[in-house]
Amino acid sequence: MVERRPWLDVFTHIVLLLSAVALLVPVWLALVAATQDVAGVNSVPIHWLPGGHLADNLAEAWRRGGFATRFTTSLIVAVGVTVGKIVLAMLAAFAIVFFSWRARVLVFWAIFITLMLPLEVRIVPTYAVAANALAPFQAILDATGLTGLIETVSGIHVALQWRLLNSYPGLILPLIATATGTFLYRQFFLTIPEELVEAAKMDGAGALRFLWDVLVPLSRTTMAALATIMFVYAWNQYLWPLLVTTEPERSTVMVELSRMVPRGDGLPEWNIVMAGALLAMLPPLAVVVLMQRWFVRGLVQTEK
Amino acid sequence: MKFRLTALAAGLALTLGAPAAQAQQRQGFTFWYGLTGQLSDVVQEVCKRFNDSQQQYQITCTSQGDYAKALQNTIAAFRAGEQPTIVQVYDIGTADLMLSGQYVPARALMSEQGYDVDWSNYIAPIAAYYANSKGEMLSFPFNSSTAVMYWNRAEGRKVGFENPPATWEDLHKALVAMKQAGSACPMSMDFDSWALFEQFTAAHNIPVASKDNGYGGLDAEYVFDNQPLVKQHFNNLLNWYKDGLIKVRTPESGQNVIASFASGDCNVTFGSIASHQTVRLTAKEGLDWTPALLPVYAGHERYNTRVGGASLWALKGRPQTEYKGAAAFFAFLATPESEEFWSTRTGYVPVTRTGYERMKDEGFFERPENVGREVAMKSLLLREPTPLTKGLRLGNLTQFRAAYANEMQAAFAGQKSMDQALASLQEQGNQLLRRFQQTYRGKTLP
Amino acid sequence: MERRATFRSPLLPWLLVLPQLLIIFVFFYWPTGEAFHWAFTLEQPWGGGRQWVGWQNFQEIFGSAAYWSSVRTSLTYAFGTSALAILIALLLALFIDREVRASRGWRVALIWPYAIAAPAIGMIFRFVFDPRAGVFSTLNALWPGAWDPALNGTHAMLMLILAGAWQLVAYNFVFFLAGLQSIPRPLIEAAAMDGAGPLRRMRDIQVPLLAPTFFFLVVINLTDSFTNSFGLVDIMTAGGPARATEIMVYKIYADGFKGLDYSGAAAQSIVLMGLVILLTVIQFRFVERKMHYR
Repeated sequence: MVERRPWLDVFTHIVLLLSAVALLVPVWLALVAATQDVAGVNSVPIHWLPGGHLADNLAEAWRRGGFATRFTTSLIVAVGVTVGKIVLAMLAAFAIVFFSWRARVLVFWAIFITLMLPLEVRIVPTYAVAANALAPFQAILDATGLTGLIETVSGIHVALQWRLLNSYPGLILPLIATATGTFLYRQFFLTIPEELVEAAKMDGAGALRFLWDVLVPLSRTTMAALATIMFVYAWNQYLWPLLVTTEPERSTVMVELSRMVPRGDGLPEWNIVMAGALLAMLPPLAVVVLMQRWFVRGLVQTEK
Repeated sequence: MKFRLTALAAGLALTLGAPAAQAQQRQGFTFWYGLTGQLSDVVQEVCKRFNDSQQQYQITCTSQGDYAKALQNTIAAFRAGEQPTIVQVYDIGTADLMLSGQYVPARALMSEQGYDVDWSNYIAPIAAYYANSKGEMLSFPFNSSTAVMYWNRAEGRKVGFENPPATWEDLHKALVAMKQAGSACPMSMDFDSWALFEQFTAAHNIPVASKDNGYGGLDAEYVFDNQPLVKQHFNNLLNWYKDGLIKVRTPESGQNVIASFASGDCNVTFGSIASHQTVRLTAKEGLDWTPALLPVYAGHERYNTRVGGASLWALKGRPQTEYKGAAAFFAFLATPESEEFWSTRTGYVPVTRTGYERMKDEGFFERPENVGREVAMKSLLLREPTPLTKGLRLGNLTQFRAAYANEMQAAFAGQKSMDQALASLQEQGNQLLRRFQQTYRGKTLP
Repeated sequence: MERRATFRSPLLPWLLVLPQLLIIFVFFYWPTGEAFHWAFTLEQPWGGGRQWVGWQNFQEIFGSAAYWSSVRTSLTYAFGTSALAILIALLLALFIDREVRASRGWRVALIWPYAIAAPAIGMIFRFVFDPRAGVFSTLNALWPGAWDPALNGTHAMLMLILAGAWQLVAYNFVFFLAGLQSIPRPLIEAAAMDGAGPLRRMRDIQVPLLAPTFFFLVVINLTDSFTNSFGLVDIMTAGGPARATEIMVYKIYADGFKGLDYSGAAAQSIVLMGLVILLTVIQFRFVERKMHYR
């Protein structure tokens, strides 16, 4: 508490309460929907109070989604994406902010532009890459005539092939390629006082030493925020996993959940879908609740 | 950097070290489909029944999301050489598939694999939609439906209609009477072109486009705007909307037409027979209802309606041995038992005469839960399909449907007159057709 | 932004960005390049052939009234959603940061809806905006037809903006809170002791120190609502009524992904990307220049 201002405190509480309610109403409705039977969930006006079918619906969703095995897959993917993205983003942003080199603006924009065209729009050519991640390099070798050259010299025909379908790298790698993390880290690194860099250089610390000893501890809240966002993002992905996992037993929780959503002339069993959604949101929920503890201030100024 | 490389290597090992761990003595093949929710569960049951019914083949069935996603993923996979053996494609994707040439025609597939199929057993208007110009089926009808009118019998009786009205004129009278009796929503409609436009034209034998609705070639043009009955029909709907006889019910307004009917809020609506099951299972307690034939305007002869839903295509480029499995699967689906299994668990109609006969013999349509479902069969089998009631063989239909929705919304919101909306729709439609024709320049429909 | 104090090394920065560059090359630039190639052809979806048509696809887009309407719609949606989401999130984060009693509880209460699964959102908002059952039913009971997103384009757009903002508020809140929490506490306390009131402290200390986060969120929110919102549109309005919510990326999705017109969609993608890049460059050139990173 910075100072005492009772009226402001009351006002604050009211605003927070209203916002919490506005944010929670949809989630509450999802919870209520998960406790109805199929007629109840489709009735108008909607029910605002829970019914008695929660356990049935949860069990049915668990069975239909085959969640017992899917949770492991999703967890590996989400953790892989979170860790991969943080590491990649930090390294790239570090290079962009703390080094003078000619290509840095170009590199930053090259990374940044990837935000500007969603996967859906380029899905067909992206699938071809998933079927063989080395296809671009093979194409370059072919186009430059290197394939032929190597074949004449060594007698070996170069045919690069790395099939990503139904594999963890296929699920993880494309999702860590986007630019949000890099951009966020760039923003954070730009706030680091110049004196810190000077001091580090004066002490004779190399760039990597500076990264590890100074920047990593300083970026704790940023990292926590990014990790939260990335875990939820990765966990909730379904279009890419749907595309990459052609064998049903390798799919993720969200893919299975999206398969439960009724469309068109199907039976609108939203009660099952919502029960599935509740189950599916448990891990991200746990992460969100755990990570927010890291947003606490304190470390930042003691480091300085 | 070292650990990243190890991670990559581990991932690589995972890919290589985990081939499908299934019994390898069976010939495996794959089937991708575009159904989700409970319908997807039924497809999985069908697949399991097939696997249990024999020892040679193992089908793996994968839901790819909705119809559009399934088609999109299949195309993506096809272009990467990873396509499934069988894919389900919705009715409006039929023209695309036919022009692609990347499928094994149904007849060729079955005769190559030594099956002697009685093709006339497939119900004529269903087969006609998926057939080439010679009338030979290219794909196998799977989940098939047609449009019906959903009618609240109890509310109808209250205003003196013992049976669902057979003409639009009578329907109008009924709606007026219902409104006078205090109904807040006599009829609900949405902006989906299928029931109130496409099937409407079939029931009246009116052309949507020239060249027999596109069957005659890619240079067909939309002509519906030149049909007085089409103009009259849509102006009627708009006037009835203004009079409060029709309410718009779309997902955007919080409730779709089927839900508005099942909840008893609206007394009449139009939709697919496949929604029969949804209405039955979500209906308000005691709702007395039935599907009925689409009305026709007085003085017009009634024609058959078209099939909707989706069909199964065998794609080119798979190992020969997989087609054996595919043929066995198609033969399995055409058995009366499979048809009954499928129709019992969904709202779809049987696609073969033997399946239909068997269901009739077993009293399927008399069972209380199937009330009125024979109406769909009646609607499909009303008479031999004419060149105009076979179907629509038009390119870019998805975008045309979107344009239809937008133009109707503009007219219903009062931004333009219904005549202007229809004219604009026809113009946009023709642009879509010309673009499609140019894309497939030099190709002809099979 | 140039820094004065930097490291120098010919190789190290390249090594540091290499992993990310490799991945975006393989999974973004290569496929996108192929898709862009289609913009100048008419591509048959099943790969049966293509013909070179030059600028025809672009001419058709620019000659279409529907396309220009989608550009206007996109701008409305993107700016409306971003402004709303950023403003609400910033206010919430500032309030939380006052550390009123039980602030940790509030933090959890405001953050956790962020974890909700995307497929649930469409259905949830179907309820929330239901003219007869949802939040607006009382309004409609008083004035029939007061809320009608099915036929009123303004209502539909409003509904879409609210839903879009709802998704982004939680996202923005996470970053704002993280940013606020990294502002040294003594700074605020010192200002309070000097007699600066809460509003003054917000204006003079917290908001300026949040500038990098703020800029980050503006850019990300705008980009995201331009390029990533077709899922929401698809579920909630399908671009209607009468194209009132047909934003550019939804049109690309509907024409290309659903309608299989790959070439038309590719041409539209190029235009969209150009527009978003232009907007972003403007922000970096003119907005970021006015900010000072300490």
